[in-house]
Amino acid sequence: MSSIFQRILAHPKTVLLLLFLLTALAIGQIRHLTMETDLDAMLPKQSDAYINTKVLEERFGSTDMVIIGLMNNSPSGIYNAATLNLVQELTDWLSTEPLFRTLALNDLLSLATIKDIQGSEDGMSVLPFLNDFLDIDANNSEAVTQAIEHLKTRMHDFGIYEDVIASADGHGTLFIVRPQPNARHTYAAIYDLLQTKVTSLEAEHPEVQFFIAGRPVIEGVFGQYMPQEMKRMQPLVMGVLILLLFLSFRTPRGVGLPMLVVLMAEIWTLGTMAALKAPMYTITTMLPILILAIGIADAVHFLSRERLLAHYQAYAHRKERITEVMHELWKPMLLTSVTTGAGFLSMMASELPPIRDFGLFATLGIAYALLITMLLLPSALILLPEKSSHAERKPLFSGYVQWLGNTVLNYPKRITILFALLIMVAFIGVVKLQVNASLVEQFKPGDPLRAADTFLNAHFSGTTTLDIMIDTGRENGLLEPVFLQHLAQLQQQLEQQPMVGDTASIAEFLSTMNQALHNDDPAWRKVPDNSELAAQYLLLYSFSGAPDDFETFITGDYQQAHLRINLKTDATNTVQAIIANIDTALQNYFPAEQGFKVAWAGTGFTVSRLADMIINGQIASLIVSVIAIFLLCWWIFGRVSMAGIAMIPVALAVTVNYGMMGNFGIPLDIATALTGAMAMGIGVDFAIHYLHRYHELKASGKDYPSCVRETNSTVGHAILFNSFVVVGGFLVLLSAALYPQMKLGALIAATMVICYLATCYLFPVLLRLQKH
Amino acid sequence: MKFTTLLPLSLISFTLLAIPTYSQAETPVENPTGLSIMQAVDQRDDGEDLIQKIDQKLIDKRGGVRERHMIAFRKDYGADSKSISYFLKPANILDTALLTYDYDGVARDDDQWLYLPALKKVRRISSSDRGDYFMGTDFTFEDIKQTPELEDYNWTLLGSEIIDNHDCWKISATPKTEDLQKNLGYTKTISYIRKDILIAVRIDYWDRKAQHLKTLIVDKVEAIDGIWSVRHMVMKNIQSQHITELSFSEQQYNSNLSDRLFSERMLKMGYRAN
Repeated sequence: MSSIFQRILAHPKTVLLLLFLLTALAIGQIRHLTMETDLDAMLPKQSDAYINTKVLEERFGSTDMVIIGLMNNSPSGIYNAATLNLVQELTDWLSTEPLFRTLALNDLLSLATIKDIQGSEDGMSVLPFLNDFLDIDANNSEAVTQAIEHLKTRMHDFGIYEDVIASADGHGTLFIVRPQPNARHTYAAIYDLLQTKVTSLEAEHPEVQFFIAGRPVIEGVFGQYMPQEMKRMQPLVMGVLILLLFLSFRTPRGVGLPMLVVLMAEIWTLGTMAALKAPMYTITTMLPILILAIGIADAVHFLSRERLLAHYQAYAHRKERITEVMHELWKPMLLTSVTTGAGFLSMMASELPPIRDFGLFATLGIAYALLITMLLLPSALILLPEKSSHAERKPLFSGYVQWLGNTVLNYPKRITILFALLIMVAFIGVVKLQVNASLVEQFKPGDPLRAADTFLNAHFSGTTTLDIMIDTGRENGLLEPVFLQHLAQLQQQLEQQPMVGDTASIAEFLSTMNQALHNDDPAWRKVPDNSELAAQYLLLYSFSGAPDDFETFITGDYQQAHLRINLKTDATNTVQAIIANIDTALQNYFPAEQGFKVAWAGTGFTVSRLADMIINGQIASLIVSVIAIFLLCWWIFGRVSMAGIAMIPVALAVTVNYGMMGNFGIPLDIATALTGAMAMGIGVDFAIHYLHRYHELKASGKDYPSCVRETNSTVGHAILFNSFVVVGGFLVLLSAALYPQMKLGALIAATMVICYLATCYLFPVLLRLQKH
Repeated sequence: MKFTTLLPLSLISFTLLAIPTYSQAETPVENPTGLSIMQAVDQRDDGEDLIQKIDQKLIDKRGGVRERHMIAFRKDYGADSKSISYFLKPANILDTALLTYDYDGVARDDDQWLYLPALKKVRRISSSDRGDYFMGTDFTFEDIKQTPELEDYNWTLLGSEIIDNHDCWKISATPKTEDLQKNLGYTKTISYIRKDILIAVRIDYWDRKAQHLKTLIVDKVEAIDGIWSVRHMVMKNIQSQHITELSFSEQQYNSNLSDRLFSERMLKMGYRAN
């Protein structure tokens, strides 16, 4: 080791030049970073939800639609000439907007495109609902009123589009439009474009209000928020760090050098991500903050030690002093980095790519920070002119850490009781812990997108889709009356489930056609009772739209069917309950032994599978991190009992973390799932530092009280600073626009406070027990 | 001897028959314009009536094929026409039949009746918009007409181009009004019309976003009973990757079809009854 240190100190300029070159190289890579906002991309490629959704898209077309809601709260609602003309206007505009694909009827559904199928004595008509209204003379107010009344009646009688396109209360209507395929990068632009359009329409028509929702815009806005948020948070976190560094060192180099270290580590990490083509997910956008807040600890340790030695003038020569610091610190710094890294690397036990990437690149960032600290600080300190006055400033909070040493000795019982209470409350919370992989709920309750989604879900059939694909296993299989009856029954059963707003399948269209071709007699609203009739209806159905429309619900060989379910929420527990309730019925209606193959797909299913994987990954990574950190501590301290004690503060902090989530109703989601392993990895460093020093003092023959006092006043100081940095850094996330980051910030901050308290207050109490 | 003299004679008679057809077609008008060429296309002889078998292939973007066979009868009544089509395959739609009265111009909507054998009833179907898809194919009702309504478009002759070794007129058409564009779903089409036989062998369509939407390729034409007939054509939707292939066979022109054929009664009778 020392030859390496010597070499670094012998060529400080070369080392610095090399570091800056690598940093420049990394900066060059960063512009290649890409954002990944696709909910399905959060799933591993081999997951059934991922595969099924791809199959669904390939076979029946994408179900990801942009939804625009128009509300008119005047007494006539949407059923007045001005609003219907507005519907026509917006529909026309949407159909000529290049960002949308509007080839088939199913690509753009609105009151102005949907068709009414109506039977009569001798025939059947398939005409746009707005046909009458648009055909008559607009000046003949009586005829207009009549046409609108008729439209309203038909919308209700026909039923298929009630609550899907026009709300039952008559106050709202939807426009459902498909973005161009494979044009994910335009989703943010779609939202902006629609915002501008509806704002101008709202200005012209003060009586109406618009709401924009749907998965593409949600993902688009995410994609927009992510880089914005990274840019916005960066200076905030840096501000917090600069402030804390200034309070600690009060010298330009004390602030500048650690900042330089962590900024380099951040740039290297992002550069590596770009070079490895790892995309940015919502949660990996927090990596810069994390690396800044965690990576700074090493530099701070280094500078504190250097200043202390300078203060005591222990070494005559600066070069010797710096070598000594490197010697003293490389091992503990490496150890704490390894334990922290173990916490993050345990995230690799999760199946979810964003969580795996987060763990991997956080570990890498920490490693970079350590490496840069050991290279940059000695080189820079050698080159910078020595200022003796710097060594004399007393660190802040010296009074507090001394008070702390005495307090813990005086009130062991109170401390024990407080922690016992904390653990009890935490356990109550852990039981209540829930998991939620909702996409919409990643936005704060007040966010316009979430508000629009909530509003549209309250008035219409629902903005989240859940899909069932049924392969009958034989050509023309879906024409069979038994199949169609079962499909219709399944739909009925589904529609009785809570939060299911609507279902659609070929059975529904065949029933409608059956009724229309039997003089609109409601008694005939049932699926055809022989397969020839079904085939002939399907032929007729295929006449009514573009070729693609036909393929939304069935395949051309009549072998496979698609059942679409609209949900009023994408909250995991609701979706999972529906899947659990229906799955048995689904298997019974379409048994595998008769050649059927059934599969769930769509956003709802993705969300449900994500939740499972979050839970499983969470448990796996917790187990891995506990074992890994325990083994590391055992190796560091050489005794099992010490390793056990070292785990106590983090175990407690992590339990309290989950307890808080349960008690405050914060669900485990893709971001909050990170808190456990993360807190474990960061928190255990406190314990290692503390125990290390305590036992050094103990070995030198000091008694228990003076060991505690001295440990608290020395290491206690470093731990306090460390906590401040992590807490401060993560509290910046409270200002995040995205809900998961905000929650994660609050949770990590709170958990680190607990971890600090457990280390500096509870440890001394526990160590006294060990003594007896 | 007899045979040797007969052979040249028959060749001559064939050439004699063929020459007027070509010479008529070669010069539709003096100083041709887009419109005058299209008028000539519109007036091209397509027989007074026609019987043909149609094979419809719908190919989705995954390559899945849906096939239908039918036999179709058409008879002209001046500028109007009547047609009746019977589905022959697949078996589960056998005898399903469609009767259409097609009226010239846009003033009067076409009449359509459908017979579903499984229902044993004839049902009148409301007519569709010109821009609606025809029978779930990639053709719209406007596309399958012999020629579009000439007065609805501005026709511009862009020049000549060789398509598959045939000299063609290149003509662009733009619907005259915004409303028409909306109705038809197109902002522009470009047709390549074979100068010799006045049949469009390629048409490109641009949608209302001015993006290339579809391409029609007519790749097999034959003279049958002296009338140039399309035998095979492919319409490909560039954006959805959906393809419709139409093959026409067993064409018989001018067989003096009876008016009785185009009636509700015959719709119910099915094809075998003819």
